Amino acid sequence: MSAVQRPVLNKKQVEMNYLLHEAPREKHFITGAQAMSEAVKRANVDMAIAYPITPQSEVMHLVGDVFAQGHIKEYYRAEEELGTMSAIAGASRAGVRLFTATSGPGLIRGLEAIASWPGHRVPAVLGILTRVINAPLSIQPDNIEMAYMMHCGAVMLHAENQQDTFDFTLAAFAIAEKVDVYIPVAVATEGFFVTHAKGYVDMMSEDLVYKEFDPVASPVPAMDNETPPARIQRDAPVQKSNFMSYLIHSVWQQEIWDSNSRAMKYIYEYLGGPIEVQNPEADVFVVASGCAAAQAREAWRYAQEEGLSVGLIKVKAIRPFPKDEIREAAKNAKALIVPEHNIIGWLSKEIQATIPNGGIVVEGPRVYGGMTLPVELIMVELYDALGIEHNIKL
Amino acid sequence: MTKIVEVGPAGYMPTSAPAMGVELAPEGSALLYGNTVTPEEAMRDAAIALLTRKNPTIFPGPQVLWDWKEDVAEKSAAILDLASEIPNCKIIPMPDYRPKYPKIDVKAEINPNHPNLTILDNRIEACIFVGVHCHYANLTLRMIRAGTNCYTVALCAYMGHEEAMASIRDLHASDIAKFKEIVIEERNKLGIKWETTLPPENPSLPKEDNSTLSPADYGEYRSLIMTKKGEHITDAE
Amino acid sequence: MSLAYITPSERFKKYLPKDYVELIDFGPFGKTQEEAGPGNMGQFKELMEEHPMCSGCWMAYYIRLIFAALPCPEETVTIGTAGCGRLAISQAAVPFIYGNYGDQNAMASGLTRAFRLRFPDKTKDVLTIAGDGGTMDIGFSMTMHSWIRGERFTTIMLDNEVYGNTGGQSSGMSPKGAVLKMAPMGKDFEKMPATDLAKAAGCVYIVRMSPTNIKQAAKVIRRAIFVAREVGPTFIHAYTSCNIEYSIPTEDVFADAIELGKGRFKFDEYMTDEAKIVIERVEGEEKVARKARKAAKVAAAEAVN
Repeated sequence: MSAVQRPVLNKKQVEMNYLLHEAPREKHFITGAQAMSEAVKRANVDMAIAYPITPQSEVMHLVGDVFAQGHIKEYYRAEEELGTMSAIAGASRAGVRLFTATSGPGLIRGLEAIASWPGHRVPAVLGILTRVINAPLSIQPDNIEMAYMMHCGAVMLHAENQQDTFDFTLAAFAIAEKVDVYIPVAVATEGFFVTHAKGYVDMMSEDLVYKEFDPVASPVPAMDNETPPARIQRDAPVQKSNFMSYLIHSVWQQEIWDSNSRAMKYIYEYLGGPIEVQNPEADVFVVASGCAAAQAREAWRYAQEEGLSVGLIKVKAIRPFPKDEIREAAKNAKALIVPEHNIIGWLSKEIQATIPNGGIVVEGPRVYGGMTLPVELIMVELYDALGIEHNIKL
Repeated sequence: MTKIVEVGPAGYMPTSAPAMGVELAPEGSALLYGNTVTPEEAMRDAAIALLTRKNPTIFPGPQVLWDWKEDVAEKSAAILDLASEIPNCKIIPMPDYRPKYPKIDVKAEINPNHPNLTILDNRIEACIFVGVHCHYANLTLRMIRAGTNCYTVALCAYMGHEEAMASIRDLHASDIAKFKEIVIEERNKLGIKWETTLPPENPSLPKEDNSTLSPADYGEYRSLIMTKKGEHITDAE
Repeated sequence: MSLAYITPSERFKKYLPKDYVELIDFGPFGKTQEEAGPGNMGQFKELMEEHPMCSGCWMAYYIRLIFAALPCPEETVTIGTAGCGRLAISQAAVPFIYGNYGDQNAMASGLTRAFRLRFPDKTKDVLTIAGDGGTMDIGFSMTMHSWIRGERFTTIMLDNEVYGNTGGQSSGMSPKGAVLKMAPMGKDFEKMPATDLAKAAGCVYIVRMSPTNIKQAAKVIRRAIFVAREVGPTFIHAYTSCNIEYSIPTEDVFADAIELGKGRFKFDEYMTDEAKIVIERVEGEEKVARKARKAAKVAAAEAVN
């Protein structure tokens, strides 16, 4: 069946603010993979390109079903991730809304193309369902690949649970397509822990969709033979060996990171800000993103029950990194405990570099290789930071 | 008012305006030296710069040069009306975004990848960009601020530009007409006499005729291209 | 046909550089092949006029020919990759996408599908033009899979049998025995069978040639584009020598191309029955139109007399 003959669904197009903040919602009990595909269904995506890798596979297979139902206009399974990510870059030149998703080794395989999306001004949304990077081979969750993604220029959101996955994915399309942003937005969440586990997700009716993609409202011309100029290369090779060539490349790179920082105001608009703070007056904070934030939230609940001076800082945006917000939230803190699902501790390093007194950061606890993050691991650090004796055995 | 974004040259590798803390003006406002002001305030400062600095020039971009959208006719007419009220204003277009090979005709056009060549050669000290896609406008405005002493005005159909000295957002033809009125007002205040005159047409240079090139044209590099007398190189290495 | 984006806004035309005005007034946009085709190159403003290729570069000539042969340049997008070719391709007045290494056919897959969904009633031609390294080495998987998927666009391989742009390294398409950089003892395996691979992968129109005959080369380019519009992937494997790395004296470049045209680049045209139907139909229509134009011209001349 060709794209022209796809079933046509009668949906109401609305603004993202209405969709996220006003449209009535109903509670569903679904997996993270379902949540992401349900968001894609409501995002009025033109084209999705799939390639399987565990634990992402379920997302793009469900998106395929969404295509078959007529919610998406075009969908295919590409040859591998570099082919997928390159095809996204090609399709983006035609001025359409795009989605794909991958995991760990797949992200690394596609990274040559992904790393050039921001410079090419590709406003696609990329799902990252985290997984260890192989050697030895494993399919288990671990968000080490996000460290590789952090220096590409893309906006990065990290979802704590199924509800976040749904809301962040939907918001990502609106953020990516702002004229002053127009770079890819990656929405990450943990493989298996979120993708394959069910949680409650409040969703609006699927008869509502985000307004359609506007190929004209763009900081670069669509290469569609409809938009001037004729003699264009959006990604001009500026590789002559002279000062002007170096300068254009450097200001181009600046522009990408400036676009990244311009996304912050939209993260406030759609997601209520890049961080969530609980108990802002606390002495000790657990600072975490993604799935680790769910465990951190549980540790914070334990601490509340015990009457401890403990707060929670959940980091929703990894790029742009909420420097000012974290500095402000942690200004009176005596210790920041940063639990993570990876061995290098990219979040704790970011936080140490952000606050003036990096010494208060407790680097851990960390789990990796697919290990779960028991709340007790965080409690041990909390008791130590508060100088409370304990006999937690792990 | 503290000028955050100032007329250049800002130097070798300037910090970008957003990195200096400049944020795009909200709807209904404009930016002047990186500060949020009313559109009229920004237009007035820009008008004075265009009237008092040397070689004022308008750089129209692809979105107003090519007849692809309904509002182009109205906007291009408004731009020419504005140009004809600025004494000795020139129009140098930016017809596309591809770097110019082998050499740009700096009297006839400007290119976003190497705008300095046009600005410096024509000694332009005040300019307006209009109809340039935002990505390229940001790049070019920053390069101009880095390497020239040109006062830049950005007339943008979207959200404006942090890098420009004066930035107007959500531009319609009516805004350009309003800008023209402000230019006339300021011109009268400054006591400058001027009769409405359209800028001169494009002064494209004739194509270089390479068939008449002689080794002498290569000056000091002559020895690099000259073979020795009687030498005929048939083999590489 | 959407010529709007290459029509100057009325009041600005006199402010455009001469180069652009000439392109619009005397260029090939919206014109027929008799008015602006390979047969009368030099008599109209060409899409690609200046390029930084080496003196005597046969690839530059062929690229110039590709642009002159385009059936609808105002509705065409080209995609290339790293290599000499893109230095010239990027100088043409046709949108050009320069992606990452060897990804041109994956990009084209996304682009053509996106065009078809956005413009179901329009024809937009997509051409990937890349070298032997980009098409058959680093881009091999993406090239093959675009063909296997039946993606409807044209792939042109500019085969100079070497990595010219990086300084003369051996490629999969270099002939066996060629002593090149990274094959210091001579290449020890055969030239890849590109056209056989294309056939096995499902290309519906395949030509291998040394493009020494302008008329024939142009016909092949047009056929490949017409068939890609309607039937499936098409592939042109063209010899475009590297006179630098293979030390071919400039005055012998043409003779070398003729020579190889008798050897490993001997003209070979393959088409499926479906492709043949399209070619016969389109060329038949063109013939009728050409005749009609001729008759109209004669009638007009008689009317004047």
